[in-house]
Amino acid sequence: MKFLCRDCDTAMKFKDVTRPEQGSVTAVFECPDCFVEFAMFLNPWETQMLKSLDLQLGGTAEAAQPMQMVRSQLGTAKREPMPDTPDAQDANAAGTAEGGKCPFTSVIAGAFEEEEPKVEPAGPTWSAEALARLERIPSFVRPMAKMGIEGFAKDNGHAEITAEVMDAARGNFPSQF
Amino acid sequence: MKTYNELPADAGSDIIGQVTAQLNRLQKRLADVKHTVAIMSGKGGVGKSAITANLAAALALEGCAVGVVDADINGPSIAKMMGVRNAALHYSPAGVTPIVNALGIKVISMDLLLAEDEAPVLWNAHTQKDAFTWRATMEVGALREFIGDTEWGALDYLLLDLPPGTDKLPNVVELLPNLGGVLVVTIPSEVSQFIVKKSLAMAQHILNVPIIGVIENMAFHICQHCGEKEPLFSTDEPLWEETLGSIPFDAKLAYCSDKGMPYVREYPDTPASLALTAVAGKIQHFFKET
Repeated sequence: MKFLCRDCDTAMKFKDVTRPEQGSVTAVFECPDCFVEFAMFLNPWETQMLKSLDLQLGGTAEAAQPMQMVRSQLGTAKREPMPDTPDAQDANAAGTAEGGKCPFTSVIAGAFEEEEPKVEPAGPTWSAEALARLERIPSFVRPMAKMGIEGFAKDNGHAEITAEVMDAARGNFPSQF
Repeated sequence: MKTYNELPADAGSDIIGQVTAQLNRLQKRLADVKHTVAIMSGKGGVGKSAITANLAAALALEGCAVGVVDADINGPSIAKMMGVRNAALHYSPAGVTPIVNALGIKVISMDLLLAEDEAPVLWNAHTQKDAFTWRATMEVGALREFIGDTEWGALDYLLLDLPPGTDKLPNVVELLPNLGGVLVVTIPSEVSQFIVKKSLAMAQHILNVPIIGVIENMAFHICQHCGEKEPLFSTDEPLWEETLGSIPFDAKLAYCSDKGMPYVREYPDTPASLALTAVAGKIQHFFKET
């Protein structure tokens, strides 16, 4: 895609990109002549397509890490005994118990890492019944399912995740529960 | 007002540069690989992976340096068949060290990255709904990284075990425009031939990829008691004018595949082993001739 400032008849230049929020990336472009800006929103599928191509809006100054797309995007990956840098080893040692994820995800995910909520109120709570159902999901897919259900609850204004919300959220993630 | 073609190629993301860098990385990685070979069929269940594993073993036993890429991202079986599935990959800035099996064959497979036996390949995403819009792209990206980010070193042969589907070879050719050749695996059933011929047409007429030959797997069964050849399918008449080899069915081959043992080493004198070894010799001859 290319963008043109119609007033100046000048090609717009990339200026900035936000990290994804609820799956959507925002890219800002600016006219180099009149400095007018506009924002382009990528929907979650467009954002995901960019991730799958391992391309970064705004370019990338970082050298590619080995298998960075697979290692940062595979949701059912095994925990890595990983890399040789002290920082990464520390990150690995501090890894979460449930994650099963690569510690360098935080290093390479860059612009595609989900934006941390700014003044985000506490996320939706889980009812006991919903938690019990969550526990029945196989461990390797549970983090993805949990994230999908919580995202669905937030998007749809549910303060509490109940069995009914879980039913409604089916289709947002792959597992049966 | 300016038109699309009058504007600069990029607004600042250098997408073309990023894609070029990816492909350059891949080409650089394969600089010391003499021959790349895709093993395909188009049809599932014909024994591509078992053939791949054993051709790799036969080539290695003849002194060749061999690597295998399990290009079946969603149904990876090569790591199990080659006896390396519990090994852990090691990563460094230079690349991923492949797992090396008992015969010195270097292996990369999605199976080596998955958390548990029953874990399927699932990609992180805000929503899995409508994942069909991007999943195939993820799979090609994964294959690109498997080929391009693995430290293969100097190899005589890099074999790519493709999943079923006539659409898979074009993806490989996009990544490897200098693909050395294609092996097509089939079984003597009309259903298999029906699909495999489409794959051959794709390879020969659309992609113009060199065809090393057709391998007829499970071509017949040899009775253990009387030594007589018995057909396994509707016909034992050859459906191809010429094949690279006809591999008889042997339950021991399936057993070795399940146990991660190289059949051609464990049972070197069986008709199937001899046929596989002969095919490996023809592959070497093919590349000497070209």
